[in-house]
Amino acid sequence: MDTILQVENLTKQYEGFQLDHVSFDLPKGTIMGLIGENGAGKSTTINAILDLIKKDDGTVTFWGQELASSKQLKEDIGVVFDGINFYETLTPAKVGKISGAAYKQWDEYLYQDYLKRFGLPLDKEIKTLSKGMKMKLCIAVALSHKPKLLILDEATSGLDPVMRDDILDVFLDFVQDENHSILMSSHITTDLEKVADYITFIHQGKVLFCKTKDELRYKYGIIRCGAAGFDQIDKAEILAYRKDDYQWNVLVADKEKARKKYKAAVVDDATIDDILLLYVKGERAK
Amino acid sequence: MKSLILKDLYNIGHNTKSMLFILAVFAVAFIPTSGVGAYIFICGILCSMMIVTTFSFDDNSKWARYAMIMPISKRDLVIGKFIVLAIFCAIGSVFGLAVGLIGGGIAGKITFSPAAIVELLFLTLAATVISLIFGSMSIPLVFKFGAEKGRVLLLVSFLIPAAICFGAYKLLAILGVELTDQTVFILLCCSPLIALVWSYGMYQISYRIFLKQEL
Repeated sequence: MDTILQVENLTKQYEGFQLDHVSFDLPKGTIMGLIGENGAGKSTTINAILDLIKKDDGTVTFWGQELASSKQLKEDIGVVFDGINFYETLTPAKVGKISGAAYKQWDEYLYQDYLKRFGLPLDKEIKTLSKGMKMKLCIAVALSHKPKLLILDEATSGLDPVMRDDILDVFLDFVQDENHSILMSSHITTDLEKVADYITFIHQGKVLFCKTKDELRYKYGIIRCGAAGFDQIDKAEILAYRKDDYQWNVLVADKEKARKKYKAAVVDDATIDDILLLYVKGERAK
Repeated sequence: MKSLILKDLYNIGHNTKSMLFILAVFAVAFIPTSGVGAYIFICGILCSMMIVTTFSFDDNSKWARYAMIMPISKRDLVIGKFIVLAIFCAIGSVFGLAVGLIGGGIAGKITFSPAAIVELLFLTLAATVISLIFGSMSIPLVFKFGAEKGRVLLLVSFLIPAAICFGAYKLLAILGVELTDQTVFILLCCSPLIALVWSYGMYQISYRIFLKQEL
């Protein structure tokens, strides 16, 4: 399996927060979702990956090379942040000229094509565009220099479901090329359930897990039971648990095994939201 | 680099009308009273101040952070600002000369003799150089303190070079060196070089400040 992005032991210390030895690999042709609550370290991870902040320790390599070692690498990486980074009086036409002057790989025809496809007017100032349109403009810019890797930091946050669906379709199109990959941070887990192949969960600056989405969807489950039922559960099988008023919700890594073993209990499928909530708000088995 | 310059020119282009209005008001106010030479200097210096405005636009859109994910280095970004400053200074001074010639002609403040034209051309060069020196002082201040505080500190960037020039003038007086027309002419001829050296120094300071910053 070829790796596009390799993050190893990425560490960054701030007062009151530490990004703690974050490691994961992003294979070719895949979409990886970076999830976690607000302040978990998703954006810090992306900033450190992009060399926007100085890391205290660890290495980040793209196609085996460090970002600082080659300007050419940046041609192959498209980035979209959660807001537009062009001043509000510019127009999509001017944004194209500015970006075209920066990237050797810039394809003006492709850019015009994306503008048409997204219904973006060439000569309207950015300040007159809706949030969704601005995000589409950012994506058009990021895709028009023909990157092989897209890094998206909360790019779909704040958009309505229709707009998000349009944008997710663009991402799915992008990874049709098996040399392309996407790393996207989001706390809208339903988006990731739709498009991601891998989920990396960051909590309090640490990677809790990095797994395939299918493993989470098809293997993880939640046992719903009372106090007596909870006592019977093998504590080694519990990943996290939370007590509601009258019910215990217990996250396990193998729901089929749990269904066979704890017949009296209800074992539900776990969504990524459920998993995130139980890890963040629940307690972890010792 | 071209991308950075284009971005600043497009951004500032939005302010062109208001800047033209200010310069027109100043033309009416200063050409009849202070002369064409003073007006050329005012235009050069006012246009050099627009560099701080470009930083405000950048801060507003978090541009520096975005620029670093483009094939642009921190060094490129700093050099770009100095090039844009030089463009602003040149445009301001040449605009001052053009309007000054028209306004001075109307107000009867200039004669269109070859000597007077040459003198105005020299003044235009001097205005470009001085506004470049003043403006380049503001760039490290803005990199260090941001556009908002930098705007306040703009005064410092004008006072420091002025104080240095005044100090040098006093030192020369103490040493018994008199500033004759010939000395002034030589200084004027050397001024582009002085501006380049000064700007290079300011660039190095700016780059070191920006290099340490996290985006």
